[in-house]
Amino acid sequence: MMQEHTPSEKILERVGSLRWTAGHDFHDELVESLYTDAARIADRAVTRKGERGRFDMDRTIDRLVTSRWLGFPLMLLMLTIVFWLTIEGANYPSAMLATLLVDTIRPLFHSGATAIGLPWWLSGLLIDGIYLAMAWVISVMLPPMAIFFPLFTLLEDFGYLPRVAFNLDGLFRRAGAHGKQALTMAMGFGCNAAAIVSTRVIDSPRERLIAIITNNFALCNGRWPTQILVATIFIGGLAPAHLAGLVSAAAVVSVAVLGIVLTFVVSWALSRTVLKGEASAFSLELPPYRPPQILRTIYTSVIDRTLIVLWRAVVFAIPAGAVIWLASNIQVADLSLAEHFINFTGPFGAVVGLNGVILLAYVIAIPANEIVIPTILMLTVLTARLSGAGDGAGVMFEPDSLEANAEVLRAGGWTLLTALNLMLFSLVHNPCSTTIYTIYRETKSAKWTTVASLLPVVMGFVMCFVVAQVWRLFS
Amino acid sequence: MTAEQTAPPKAAAGSACEACPAHHAANLIRLGVNMANWDFVVALAGNPNTGKTTVFNHLTGLRQHTGNWPGKTVVRAEGGFAYGGDRYKLVDLPGTYSLLSTSDDEEVARDFILFGSPDVTIVVVDATVLERNLNLVLQVLEITDRAIVCLNLMDEVQRRGMAVDERRLARDLGVPVVPTVARKNEGIPELLQAVADVAFGRIVCKPHRISSPPGLKDALGGLTDEVAAAFPGLPNARWVALRLLEGDPRIAEAVRSGEIADLGRHLSTRSAFATNSLAQEAGQ
Amino acid sequence: MVSFFISYLVPLLVLALLLWPRSGYLWRWRRLVRLSGRVLLEDGLKHLYDCEYRRRTASVESLAGVLEVPRSRAAEVLIQLEAMRMASSTVEEGVALTAAGREEALRIIRIHRLWERHLAERTGVSRVRWHEEAERQEHHLSAQETETLSEEMGHPAYDPHGDPIPTANGEVPPQSSLPLTALNEWELGRIEHVEDEPVEVYQRLIDAGLHPGVLVQLTRLNEEEVRLVADGRHHSLPPVMAGNLFVYPVDEEMPGPYDSLDDLELDESAQVVRISPACRGLERRRLMDIGLVPGTAVSMEMRSPTGDPKAYQIRGATIALRRHQARHIQIERGLDERAIGVQPTVSVEEQV
Repeated sequence: MMQEHTPSEKILERVGSLRWTAGHDFHDELVESLYTDAARIADRAVTRKGERGRFDMDRTIDRLVTSRWLGFPLMLLMLTIVFWLTIEGANYPSAMLATLLVDTIRPLFHSGATAIGLPWWLSGLLIDGIYLAMAWVISVMLPPMAIFFPLFTLLEDFGYLPRVAFNLDGLFRRAGAHGKQALTMAMGFGCNAAAIVSTRVIDSPRERLIAIITNNFALCNGRWPTQILVATIFIGGLAPAHLAGLVSAAAVVSVAVLGIVLTFVVSWALSRTVLKGEASAFSLELPPYRPPQILRTIYTSVIDRTLIVLWRAVVFAIPAGAVIWLASNIQVADLSLAEHFINFTGPFGAVVGLNGVILLAYVIAIPANEIVIPTILMLTVLTARLSGAGDGAGVMFEPDSLEANAEVLRAGGWTLLTALNLMLFSLVHNPCSTTIYTIYRETKSAKWTTVASLLPVVMGFVMCFVVAQVWRLFS
Repeated sequence: MTAEQTAPPKAAAGSACEACPAHHAANLIRLGVNMANWDFVVALAGNPNTGKTTVFNHLTGLRQHTGNWPGKTVVRAEGGFAYGGDRYKLVDLPGTYSLLSTSDDEEVARDFILFGSPDVTIVVVDATVLERNLNLVLQVLEITDRAIVCLNLMDEVQRRGMAVDERRLARDLGVPVVPTVARKNEGIPELLQAVADVAFGRIVCKPHRISSPPGLKDALGGLTDEVAAAFPGLPNARWVALRLLEGDPRIAEAVRSGEIADLGRHLSTRSAFATNSLAQEAGQ
Repeated sequence: MVSFFISYLVPLLVLALLLWPRSGYLWRWRRLVRLSGRVLLEDGLKHLYDCEYRRRTASVESLAGVLEVPRSRAAEVLIQLEAMRMASSTVEEGVALTAAGREEALRIIRIHRLWERHLAERTGVSRVRWHEEAERQEHHLSAQETETLSEEMGHPAYDPHGDPIPTANGEVPPQSSLPLTALNEWELGRIEHVEDEPVEVYQRLIDAGLHPGVLVQLTRLNEEEVRLVADGRHHSLPPVMAGNLFVYPVDEEMPGPYDSLDDLELDESAQVVRISPACRGLERRRLMDIGLVPGTAVSMEMRSPTGDPKAYQIRGATIALRRHQARHIQIERGLDERAIGVQPTVSVEEQV
């Protein structure tokens, strides 16, 4: 066995035997030495004489917003105010944009098309399909986003969001999820796809998956138009006129809160079944409050968030507009494709308290949730064969008043139950295609992408079904 | 002018040396991507978001995208500059918090500092969170003894009512510390001078080394001696021993193949001037 | 309307019966399948190795007990192992491993312990489930995957229970630790290994904070109970349980007792003494990342509405920590910062 060894081999052999005696915590001890040295050297070099401790003001605000009794109510109040400002503030500019884009520019396009002699089907597809879908998405989405994103960014800049995460962490911990999921959930109120990317702040893969799968329960801005419109027509309508705005806002907040509750429930269920495990280490820095820079915030949130999200919606609205127009205008056996689908799925829709129109709208709106409401209105007109409303088959339109919308929907056989279930289904259904693609890109797993996409649809149908049954039992 | 006067780095280092030729910005010739026939290799390490890429862009005249976050890039950017008649190749390493774990970007950075044997390694640190940044500095100092700390974001330090005693820091770390405000180009001339000084061995570093974990002093000491004996000229025998004990496959491979030995030889013949100073230092 | 409920609830119930984890039919069926063939052979090898390592004699009975199969099935496993020249049995020495059998056993143990380490350091899987998960995984990982895993973790030498991980060449150090009960009264020992089976005992031991790396001192040892001090806290265990702790004697001072960060009242401040040895790997490094190293001054800043997490003032930043993390941070109250700043374990001057 006496073999000539090179020095390298001798060293490696020695290492092999030493590794067993080095102890288990060798690596940890090394890191600890390193960090302790770093801390000591930094302490000697840095003086903080000018820097006061935490300001009394900060401390007072912190004690208030994280207090045992006021912490949660203040969060709810903040949420309601943000939604209320968004709902109230977006109404007027939305109507104006619709008037401009739909009532003024569209006829100009039409006359232009006639002037250069475009065939009817081409001008129909381009103007009544694609352009109208874009116009509708812009007029419905731009104003609320231009209000919501700056408000949200102001809260973010001020330093309130980490406090929300701090307050909610106790619940997330019990659900077996990561405390920073509160932050990604809050991002989801803006846009689920952006929020999925932001789950990178969670470094435990298990908890990150939970955050990704449940992010869909954060009501994104593409779904508010649906919530807001339906709540205003059917729920705000139940209240006296002067309270209608507040009642509608409360209804929307309730749906948003239901989404938060579902986030906890589903996180809990996941971390006890397929994504079993304990909550991992969590440290969250609560930065000092900063007076928000209002102008800069508005500028950056409009540029960075609003326009990017809007651009995406417009891009997806283009093919969707074409599909709606084609589905409504291609006739097979005396009925358009859209009507075939609606008649076919109608009975199933009725069982879950929805209808065929809503189901078709959700199929068409897979690329972008924003176009759900226009599609529903258009298809309702089509199937109910209403006269005098809108512009005919496959034309997405914006009736001028809420009353007109309400009439269209009631004529389509809508009840309070349909409205309620639509609000539920709008909260709990598959993520839009951008989000699905983002989930795939972030998880690199077809399996988890499928779970994240199908789980909410199934849940949505079950919830709607149960609500419908209970409703019919008592009415 | 007022802005310059209030900024401490400029005021401290600038006033006395305003006349000396080394501090004329004109002395710096940005070579962009043209970096053939370099005399020295300079590595640029640092945590993410410390202004590392800003420093890189200033020195090379390139426009690397500065929005940097961990995981964004695992490739290194290279550029060149000439200073005082010598040509330098500057390598921008991925921003990392540490060199200890095994993520890709940390490995790229670690491997370059070790196997790329740069003549000088600049570690850019965010002076407002010095402690967190020093973790990386200390790890770099374990690997190489030719390092400079670039204390960036000094304007933020002042704005926050803090003060960083760079002389104290330089003494504790055993390497030159240059305060800068990279985005305003403050302190960059001093940084260049320090790079040249270290490259030519006019400044000899005696870097701080982390204390050995207590339970391991004997074993590590013995192994370090063995490594040092087997590979003379190696500036970081103890670090190599530590990595071997940690089971680092890349280092074990380098020991097995003798790549480590080349490293020792390479460094000791690179610059005769520097080696002489080191020998003198060791002799004292 | 009731019919709707029935038509939906019944299928749901059936699905639950089929798919429910652990007690569902599908689960049970999988377990049955698992208990046949290769898995059984591999588990048998592991048992033989374990007996060899702990210097006990293996028998058909012990094998049947460990594999949870009837004696006849255990005998079949042994015969099969012998036919594969993995084991040999003699009348006087009982069942023993052959060289080939030992190599195979070490290969499986390597995967098992690497996987436990992986679970411990990189996932949120609870401690008590590490063993169970690794039991499953050890039969599935290929040699290539095992080496990749090992390399990713920096070729760890020990698993989270303190057992050595065999190297790829099948090397393990000789066993050096003793059962806790072999210590003399008042002698100090460091825990090297905590037996992870049975799970109930393991759960109680780790709940008591008895992890590898923790310093323990025996204060009383008799037939009824074993009393010990660990990390400054007093424990009383039945001797059977204490036998599941393996220690090696050390010549050190007993540290502590220390309070933990979680014991701080609102606005109260203290200094960090150390992070408990029970907190390891990535979690430990993260705590140090935020500046929780010996000597750091901390104070409790606020409590969340649910009481957990709490936020602490650490080196100029307000940082929220969950309770189970705060419990790992050991502190001393009312001490001058400088007094702790110089820890005996760290000396600046020392250089190589």
